[in-house]
Amino acid sequence: MRSVAVAAVVAAGLALVVSACGGGGGGGGTTAATTSAQGQTFSNLKVVWGTTDYMDPGLSYRLESWQLFQDVYLGLVVKRYGTCGVGLGCTKIIPGVATSLPKSNSDGTDLTFTLRKGLKYSNGEPVKASDFPSSIIRDFKMNSPGIGFFSNIVGSEACEANPTKCKSISGIITNDQAGTVEIKLIKPQSDFLYILTTFFAALVPSSTPQKDTENPPPAADGPYYISSYKPSRSFVALRNKYWKPIPGIPNGNPDKIVALMTNDLAQSAQYITSGQYNYDENTLPTDRLKQLQSKYGDQIKLWATPSTYYFAMNERTPPFNNIKAREAVNYAINRQTLVNLRGGLGVPTENFLPPSYPQYKKITPPAYPYSLSKAKQLVQESGTKGMTVGVYTISDDVIDKNQGEYLGNQLNKIGWHAVMHELAGANYFVVVGNQSTKAQIGFTDWFEDYPYPTDWFQVLEYGPVIKAQHNNNNSNVNFSSTNAEIKRLAELAPSKAFSSSTTNDWAALDKSLMVKYVSEAPFLNGVLTSFFSANMDPNCDVFDDWFDDVAEMCMK
Amino acid sequence: MEPLAPTQEEFTLDTAAELAAGESGSKIEGKSPWVLAGRRLRRNYAALGFLGVFLLVMLLCFVFAPIYSSHVSHIGPNDGNPSGFVHEHGQKIPILSQGGSTFLKNGTVVVTQGGVPIGPQWGASGGEYFFGADPIGRDVGTRLLYGGRNTLTIGLVSAVIATALSILLALIAAYFGGGADWIISRAFDLIWAFPVLLLGIALGTALNINGFHHTIIPSFWIFPGWTINIPAGSLWIPIAVIAFVFIPYIGRPLRGQVLALRNREFVEASTAQGAGSLRIMFTELLPNIASSVLVLFTLIVANAILTEVGLSFLGAGVQPPSASWGTMIADGQDVLASDPWLSLLPGIMITITVISLNIFGDGLRDALDPRAKVRLEH
Repeated sequence: MRSVAVAAVVAAGLALVVSACGGGGGGGGTTAATTSAQGQTFSNLKVVWGTTDYMDPGLSYRLESWQLFQDVYLGLVVKRYGTCGVGLGCTKIIPGVATSLPKSNSDGTDLTFTLRKGLKYSNGEPVKASDFPSSIIRDFKMNSPGIGFFSNIVGSEACEANPTKCKSISGIITNDQAGTVEIKLIKPQSDFLYILTTFFAALVPSSTPQKDTENPPPAADGPYYISSYKPSRSFVALRNKYWKPIPGIPNGNPDKIVALMTNDLAQSAQYITSGQYNYDENTLPTDRLKQLQSKYGDQIKLWATPSTYYFAMNERTPPFNNIKAREAVNYAINRQTLVNLRGGLGVPTENFLPPSYPQYKKITPPAYPYSLSKAKQLVQESGTKGMTVGVYTISDDVIDKNQGEYLGNQLNKIGWHAVMHELAGANYFVVVGNQSTKAQIGFTDWFEDYPYPTDWFQVLEYGPVIKAQHNNNNSNVNFSSTNAEIKRLAELAPSKAFSSSTTNDWAALDKSLMVKYVSEAPFLNGVLTSFFSANMDPNCDVFDDWFDDVAEMCMK
Repeated sequence: MEPLAPTQEEFTLDTAAELAAGESGSKIEGKSPWVLAGRRLRRNYAALGFLGVFLLVMLLCFVFAPIYSSHVSHIGPNDGNPSGFVHEHGQKIPILSQGGSTFLKNGTVVVTQGGVPIGPQWGASGGEYFFGADPIGRDVGTRLLYGGRNTLTIGLVSAVIATALSILLALIAAYFGGGADWIISRAFDLIWAFPVLLLGIALGTALNINGFHHTIIPSFWIFPGWTINIPAGSLWIPIAVIAFVFIPYIGRPLRGQVLALRNREFVEASTAQGAGSLRIMFTELLPNIASSVLVLFTLIVANAILTEVGLSFLGAGVQPPSASWGTMIADGQDVLASDPWLSLLPGIMITITVISLNIFGDGLRDALDPRAKVRLEH
């Protein structure tokens, strides 16, 4: 750390960034929603939950886990708890286990946090400053899908190159007695505080095994801990008896959260209508949406999400190393039909960024109006007609499955031979994110990790982050000009992150990638549903960015 | 599903004289056991009736399917048309209902439900979507017929392969005995040790990822070698898997029968006349287990069909977009509340087919071996 005076200025700059991101008109009303249910404790909340990949914060990259983790694992800073949807603007960052937002130098490359005193994990161990680097090192050792987020920390490259020998990261300096964590970055990074809100940066005890730990999951520093987890079957979360209230973080209403895990949408809804369970985390069955809305309208909430559903096309392998082939896919898919296949729960899009972002500018006129004849012509011109194309999708989610099969059907219509590969959702992204799979094209969706475009372009569309395994850049997008632009924008000082020119540059990048380079085939921005049993009060529902907060749910 | 578990004493080679008592006065002199079996089968109207039902199902699936597709539904089994319409009494009806969401500026969402497939048209739209559409706009009737074709093909071909290999292995094991018998019997035990469906899921899932591409005989000199290449998603994968898992269920009882026959007088006589091993196996022993093979075959077909349905339902059999009755049930289960016919129709077809085969199989067994005391257990 250089000097407190400089740091204070930059801290103010960072505060400006986060408040700008959390600005808009959503403040007042949503805050009320956040606190409306505080203190209405009850003994048992029974929920139906979708299955997930891992129940370890260092490994999971799925909505189903993160929705639970928000009440279990805290980082140095966390996203503000409160409803925010498209049009409201999201999300502020608030201190988590740190006492305040960090002190920083002028360009934001040296951040210092001070931990709150007296915090303990659910196993009774004290929360120490050194737990932060050990949690990050644990990520590297487990080859976590989140390690790419930390590549700008000084010394992290050694851990990335040789995870097994990674014992420390020189850019993270801690003092357990003073409770300070200093993070040194190689270069400025506009979104680093947001990255610290992801669960890959959440603190777990240093004693946690440096491997997938799920039975039970690692001890928690949040208001709840996961006492048991049976993959694809159930989990139980209980109050953390060592929890000390932190301003802005809900203490939680239920004493116990019991989850039945299933991907059967119809069964999930049935559990709620019968009153056996209180909350359905899964999306409502789309074939019964109208019926359920008319009968249980008061118990259902619909939320626009900062998400984009798209087909990833592997640009390293034929036919999608040819831009005409990628264009053909974009012309061959009828985006309105894909919305219909989702039961109407979405809005068609050709943009990669969702409309909730200030950087979003709708691509007009539409670049890819549905045209099978144009698509056929492009396949012909690409010289790939007749080629066998492996189409990947998720088998145990009926909507994702149908959308993948629709894609396969369309590819057959335009001159390719589609071979379907339908994989279980629990390991789908692990398989397609492995380069050895050589997945050619497949269903993908992305819900923001944090509300800044780097989470979309640097994570999903940036060449240098392509990895052999756990690769999020499923299309292997790697264009020198867009890489340079992403790098430039990502390395802006935090104070410039939301300037109008930066905002316009992000919008231009979005259009350039989707129209000029045709890096993906985006098709819709999603809507999620929340379904409560009759004895629950849906007005307590707090939709934090893109998932309901179970801790804040309340009974009537 | 518990596979059939016959024992070696349940089938006997009846001579005409031994059967005389059961023929209630009919003349049996000079009639071969096959003629007598045929006569008994002709009298079993239930078995013949259900054989007719099975043949009708075969006819529908193998002969009528392409006619239905090209002249009635005007759509292929895997062709979805979710953006399309049908015309009914001058009205244009979307195949999938149109829906969508509107994001309002206050963060709320207005949703109109979409994607509900058109129900059975019963001919009102000129044959299109007679049995309705599935969730991605495919014609259910067309898929039912083509799906049946895949299910029956897999059931029949895998049963043929399993039976052929089982006969060969049973003859070798029982005739030669010793090391050959030990190896083959242990292989049977090994496969038998796994539940049929579990082994099928394991093999089917593994093979459907990248297919099967292995060199069986390497090339040498002018011989180009022999490599088996089965691409992922091929029907040959469930065929091979099901054939493999059923081998011991036919092989073991047949081996038992051959063991009982190999020391009989007619075999010794053939040996004394200088017949070679192959000749004895295929001209002396095989004809004497033929009746058992026939009965086992019909029952294995029914079991193979059920196994295929189970594997496809679980995603380890026929791969999408190809249809089978199993995949159709799986496709329909998620919309069971709103579109029950999607699962019911293939379910009904499976029931009819399997019941037909089982009743015919029972009739065939009764005809070939009227004194059988032990019944096959399913």
